Amino acid sequence: MRLIIRDDKAAASRHISDYIISRIKSFAPTPNKPFVLGLPTGSSPEGIYKNLVRAHKNGDISFKDVITFNMDEYVGIPRDHPESYHSFMYKHFFSHIDIDPANINILNGNAPDLEEECIAYEEKIKRAGGIELFLGGIGPDGHIAFNEPGSSLCSRTRIKTLAYDTILANSRFFGHDLNKVPKMALTVGVQTVMDAREVVIIITGAHKALALQKTIECGVNHMWTLSSLQMHPHAMIVVDEDATLELQVKTVKYFKSIEQVATSQGFGQFLPSAELTLKKRDSVLAQLDSPKSPTPKSFLMAPAPAAVAAAPTTPDLVPDSMQSRLPDSAVPVLGLGVTAKV
Amino acid sequence: MPMAVSPERPRSGITKLTGGRVVRGSELVEEDVWISSVTGKILNSQEVFYEHHVVADDIVDLQGKILCPGFIDVQFNGGFGFDFSTIPQDMATYRKGVGRLNRQLVRTGVTSYLPTIPSQLPEVYHNALPFLGPSGKERNPWEGSESLGAHCEGPFISPTKNGIHSLAVLQAAGNGFQDFEACYGAENLRASDTSPPAVSMITAAPEVAGVFEAIKETTRRGIKFSIGHTESTFEEATDAIHAGATMITHLFNAMRPLHHRNPGVFGTLGEAEAKERPYFGIISDGIHLHPTTVKIAWNAHPDGFILVTDAMKTVGLPDGVYDWTNGDRFVKKGPLLTREGTGTIAGSSATLIECASNFWTWSHATIPEVLRSVTSTPAEMLGIAERKGTLNPNADADLLVLDAQELANGRRNFTVHQVYKFGSLVYDGSEGVKADV
Repeated sequence: MRLIIRDDKAAASRHISDYIISRIKSFAPTPNKPFVLGLPTGSSPEGIYKNLVRAHKNGDISFKDVITFNMDEYVGIPRDHPESYHSFMYKHFFSHIDIDPANINILNGNAPDLEEECIAYEEKIKRAGGIELFLGGIGPDGHIAFNEPGSSLCSRTRIKTLAYDTILANSRFFGHDLNKVPKMALTVGVQTVMDAREVVIIITGAHKALALQKTIECGVNHMWTLSSLQMHPHAMIVVDEDATLELQVKTVKYFKSIEQVATSQGFGQFLPSAELTLKKRDSVLAQLDSPKSPTPKSFLMAPAPAAVAAAPTTPDLVPDSMQSRLPDSAVPVLGLGVTAKV
Repeated sequence: MPMAVSPERPRSGITKLTGGRVVRGSELVEEDVWISSVTGKILNSQEVFYEHHVVADDIVDLQGKILCPGFIDVQFNGGFGFDFSTIPQDMATYRKGVGRLNRQLVRTGVTSYLPTIPSQLPEVYHNALPFLGPSGKERNPWEGSESLGAHCEGPFISPTKNGIHSLAVLQAAGNGFQDFEACYGAENLRASDTSPPAVSMITAAPEVAGVFEAIKETTRRGIKFSIGHTESTFEEATDAIHAGATMITHLFNAMRPLHHRNPGVFGTLGEAEAKERPYFGIISDGIHLHPTTVKIAWNAHPDGFILVTDAMKTVGLPDGVYDWTNGDRFVKKGPLLTREGTGTIAGSSATLIECASNFWTWSHATIPEVLRSVTSTPAEMLGIAERKGTLNPNADADLLVLDAQELANGRRNFTVHQVYKFGSLVYDGSEGVKADV
């Protein structure tokens, strides 16, 4: 897992938006090979969307051949309700970019058959070729999407009942009227997220520090559903300094140093494209599978004497006097160096 | 990949207006407005996007300019040389004149209005009104500004508050609404199955015999009753409002002034109950009313404040002497228009955008507050707030792109940059006129 620590939320958002842009660019999507992007809602990713929109307006990035899948949506509120995730995505992202609306997938919380809707969603993801990069946020209780504590780490897209705390917290968006707050939501499962080729999570703010700590310093646990990320081959968490408050100093230092070394080596902790990895894998497999060159007959016979000659000869013992080993103020290291050379 | 992107989209007729400051209620917000030239309406863009997978044909960057609903002028007597009250020999000429006027008027930002006829003989109403009824049925943007129905200002008005209305044609309504029908033509006061009456508003003086009795039937037919050119006391005006009057025609002008013991028509703005407080027209051309008077009216009842021009045919014409009806002549000198010989103010020569700029300069009201008085408030008064004077989805896509400037000398100016009518760009100040005039 990569943990990237930035000074503040803006810098963390910037890192992710830059990362997504370079990932899409290097993927070079086409209508026949679209980039499939998983997307969250909420206050954490707002800054990321803002950056992406700005980059699009500057002509840096096109979303024409990007297919998106959103994480979740409330059940039973109109699609154009200001608090719906359809509205959020439209307002913060989709209305400002050149994405084809036909390429947008958001769970329909008003579907006549919600179970069917969830099954279809998983199928749609599969047919799109799986999600290349799933961007996500996290709740203070460590939930990813609506996979609240106790959700199965193998869960798939399904209907979820909201925790009473969540309903209470949400009531501020619905005129403080509990009756108006949605009680259920459709959400992708933990496993749906884990199936993505790469998962990128943004975590900012002190109130999420404990969740981050549980996610990366403790074991995999369904009470902190994001901790399942430890099992993901390509996960990246980008956080601000505040979110690291509960982490051990050594954890923070470790990840910072890793990033530093990686950067100094020109290895930007960047996930190479699946194509490239596959190609490499293919060539390795080809090598492994290729019939071995016939074993030379000579190998089966007695070892050739030449082979013995090739072995390094043990150097002759050259007795030296103890005196020459005494530290000499003029050439203390030289003596050592000479010894090493022998 | 099975989920292929469709390479070619059919043209949708949708324009996305982005990067502007959009008037929403009392705020200027930065958001996009989507309009359709096919339906001529403002779209719920989010629904169109998600439900129909439609994207905009054209994306217009407004570069920080103001986007607001098209202006509505509820008192407009003519302009650009055409006068609604002057009946030619051949009514085909009249029809053409109205058409030409509409195409010129839309360029000033007035996308809909009430063609207004001051006190005239019944023949004039009978001849003219059939051409002045609501004209937006075809929803043709190239027809320019749209009539929302005629405004008959008189002749059931007080002879002592006639302004420049000819005394010879003034009437009483001894038979109540029947006299209204006889004067304006019964068919012009009746809604058909498909359209509302040709007349949308009648200005009359409640104290004139029979007028008070006619208010009920007038409003029952969906025609707005406006108090004006009147000697009404506060009590009489209040009674008229209880009977159904909802508007005051050019407040302060042609009525008794406010007296502290008899507050007159103006006093009705002081009622506590919102529903008892009428809407009122204000001519802020800089001549009819002192700036402070305008501010007092606005502060008294901002929700009822409607700017009107009371413009005459001399709007858009050079200074000089012009013929009018009933043998009278006007003298135009800048925005000042007087009846020749008397010096009485004879309507204005100001455009609605000039009036809005004046009000903005004098009051320092916020931009949305100023624009409201020429958009949503008149639409509310007319009972058409759903489709006019608003940028809400499903309203008609009559829009203005405005420049708003605050000059160093304190002057504040709006200028019309672009005009959209029924979802089509009909005037572009930066590229010249698109509409064929």
